[in-house]
Amino acid sequence: MNFLRRQLPLFITFITGVVFALQYYIPHPISETLLTEVSKWLQIVGGFALVLGISSLFHIHFVKIRRHEPGWGYSFVLYAGIVGTLIAAFGYSAAAGAWVNGKETINGVTTAFGWVYSYTMVPLQATMFALLAFFIASAAYRSFRARSPEAALLLVAAVIVMIGRVPLGEYLIPALGGLTEWIMGVLNSSVRRAILIGVSLGTVALSLKIIFGIERSYLGGGRE
Amino acid sequence: MANLAERLLNIDRRIIFAVIGLCALMPLLYPVGLPIRVSDEVRQVYDYIDALPEGSVFLLSMDFDPASKPELYPQALALLRHAFKKNLRVVTMTLWVSGTGMAEEAVSRMAKEAGKENGRDYAFLGWSPGVSAVILNMGQDLYKAFPSDYYGKPTKDLAVLDGVRTLRDVNYVVSLTAGTAGIESWYVYGKDKYRFELGGGCTGVIAPGLYPLLRSGQINGLIGGLRGAAEYETLIGKKERAVAGMDAQSATHFAIVVLVVLCNVLYFGSRLGRREDHR
Amino acid sequence: MLRPLLMLTIVGLLSTQAFAQDLTPPADVNVIDGPNDDGGRLIATWAPSPYDRPDVRYRVLLRTADGEKTVAEFPANTKYVKGAKLSWWTRPAPPTFHYFEIKSGKAGNIEPGKPYTVTIAAVMGEQSVAAPPMTATPSPDWFNWNELNNLVLVLLFGGIVFVSIQTARRKEIFLRRIAGLDAVDEAIGRATELGKPILYLTGAGGMSDPSTLAASVILGRVAKRVASYETDLLVPHRDPIVMSVCQEITKQSYLEAGKPDAFKEDSNFFITDDQFSYTAAVDGIMLRRKPAANFFMGSYYAEALLLTETGASTGAIQIAGTDSDHQLPFFVTTCDYTLIGEELYAASAYLSREPVQVGTLRGQDLGKAFILVVLGAGTLLATVGVIIGAEWPAYILDFFKDLK
Repeated sequence: MNFLRRQLPLFITFITGVVFALQYYIPHPISETLLTEVSKWLQIVGGFALVLGISSLFHIHFVKIRRHEPGWGYSFVLYAGIVGTLIAAFGYSAAAGAWVNGKETINGVTTAFGWVYSYTMVPLQATMFALLAFFIASAAYRSFRARSPEAALLLVAAVIVMIGRVPLGEYLIPALGGLTEWIMGVLNSSVRRAILIGVSLGTVALSLKIIFGIERSYLGGGRE
Repeated sequence: MANLAERLLNIDRRIIFAVIGLCALMPLLYPVGLPIRVSDEVRQVYDYIDALPEGSVFLLSMDFDPASKPELYPQALALLRHAFKKNLRVVTMTLWVSGTGMAEEAVSRMAKEAGKENGRDYAFLGWSPGVSAVILNMGQDLYKAFPSDYYGKPTKDLAVLDGVRTLRDVNYVVSLTAGTAGIESWYVYGKDKYRFELGGGCTGVIAPGLYPLLRSGQINGLIGGLRGAAEYETLIGKKERAVAGMDAQSATHFAIVVLVVLCNVLYFGSRLGRREDHR
Repeated sequence: MLRPLLMLTIVGLLSTQAFAQDLTPPADVNVIDGPNDDGGRLIATWAPSPYDRPDVRYRVLLRTADGEKTVAEFPANTKYVKGAKLSWWTRPAPPTFHYFEIKSGKAGNIEPGKPYTVTIAAVMGEQSVAAPPMTATPSPDWFNWNELNNLVLVLLFGGIVFVSIQTARRKEIFLRRIAGLDAVDEAIGRATELGKPILYLTGAGGMSDPSTLAASVILGRVAKRVASYETDLLVPHRDPIVMSVCQEITKQSYLEAGKPDAFKEDSNFFITDDQFSYTAAVDGIMLRRKPAANFFMGSYYAEALLLTETGASTGAIQIAGTDSDHQLPFFVTTCDYTLIGEELYAASAYLSREPVQVGTLRGQDLGKAFILVVLGAGTLLATVGVIIGAEWPAYILDFFKDLK
């Protein structure tokens, strides 16, 4: 059992890690075919992983409903939502005269699934995203304080960019547009590059450790 | 005085929410229509599409979900309008499953407006699972990556895809992205291997992070956020929801600046007050 | 009046004759299999000519089973080896030579293993002179020599990391203080005193994301301390694979802490992979359960501020760690401590002090130092090269360029 949980995954990780690290340097069509084939396997494995997640979700909410834990009504709504959407997605659309098969529209006719998508999912997601505008304002009011010279400098740059990026700001102070572009294109780019270099080196180092079996925490089960 | 400053600094956040709400709503009800200056990065995308000869293949990947609709949907509409006006062969798709409905709606609407026919002038390939796998497969054989389009028609029979076997045959790709599975994926798995020209559009919050790609030439242009969409609408001469949203964005930005300045004044005021009390 | 006109006509005719005499077949034409590719290209090179001007054009012709077709036509003063994106160690001809890639297109398909005949012609107006046709057979290659510099640098960096790990096994290496990680114990202690749970998020990435891996490693350390205090731990997930891995890690942590009975299977649970649905669910957990400490480790997108602002409103102590630079401003303003970029990757080393982890960190720092030196020296070399008009700095700079 230990072989299946430890040695075999480490062996697979090593072989695939080395093969696909080298694949990048090999332009031969065999190498490209290998990459596209394995990419398809990844899609399949990802599909199976979704089953794991959904079963976990169903289990947790089933326990909540059975035990009548606080908020169990919402768990019931979750079940109803999932089942209802599945029926809408795979059922038959009388209006369109065809099986829905996951399509939002068929020949220009909106299906029930399309209705669920357009009138619940789209507005709900857009609403959640729109909350950010309010949260940014309240976070800015609470935290954007010039507690130190560096914070003051950051604040000044933030104010310049906030004003310079909108038409009203450029209309009132035309020079701000160019200054904003300079801050974004020069200062911001150089800092992003620095963070990117650091993160990329970290990624390469972590990947090398995983490939060579030095980092094994992803297997769970502790050290050996 | 210090007490007042402290109380104002700890003001109920709902008052701030109300201020922002009003600043967003009023300009939408009473638009002002301020002029919009077009930035170089947006102009670069526009110029590239404008210079493409008629019949060139333009691939638009709408890699966003409904949450990013306010920023990226206007970008998609503006780009599609421009592409159809230039009589390009438009191929659209998405790497985000939850964006499929919106992407289909965008391309159908713009095609109908331009009098374009599905299959002959444009194609909507839909969504396929596995971001990197999809792009790699398209780079090898587009017909294998998408054997049929979103409507179930075999892609090999579509006239718009005539002569387009792989991504190498595409003249320009633009990815409108709200996060991972977007511009960076198209560069790493697409342009880096298959050498097509790549442009990008993104939400305002991730735009600063994509400037290094723009500066190094990995993407040839970038449409950032609602502002970028408004600039593109200005360039194509069809001002719509993005331009309309800029007044609201101006008001809310200024409101936040005023709040930040106010909080700093109150902060320093309360510190001064406390120092005087200690004396 | 007539005489100047006659003079002009004679001069014009003579000039044309002179140009026509200059138009000789392109010299030193060479057609080879395109190197470092999948066998779908041919490369044609030929020597520069005295008539390389905008009014003269070069025409590239390809003979296939369907006959001879024009692949391309371009002004004679364009398309040189030095303008092509090639490293100096893979150039097929001197930089002043003309260079053209023949790929599959309208003129025909280039398939590996089949011979193709290519003709280069110089064209001016109606006149055209062609070099003798050359035949070549494209074939796929097993190594992309343009990427040699990339491979050498990766191996060098890998070597530095492994040597650093060996060094760390032999002697102690200094790590600077990371405030956010020192606060982990404080956060866990606070939650235990208040009798409230701890919320730990592993971010939006999958298991292939380095930040998610780092987050799950830190979860192991946090779970071990939480186990010893017997505080409640809530770990909602967006990815089922990450959930399974974190479940194993948490279970093992409880075992190592000597509290296997205190482990709850449901401490790690899957919510949904949809961004805002997950955010709404976690916000609900924060508002109902009111955790005393919130940990945001991993990669985040727009949901970052929605999560942290809600957490801040409940009065929880918040520690964040992310390599998502676009969300850093939001974390910094709303969290008590933030680990920026590779501080997140360093966290595992910092908390455990294991030689392997610490050694890797040192290797990364050495890599960064190397890049800094290259940046400085490269800028200086490039500037010197431009000032003195020399080619030799490019030979060194090319080694650090991304060339394919």
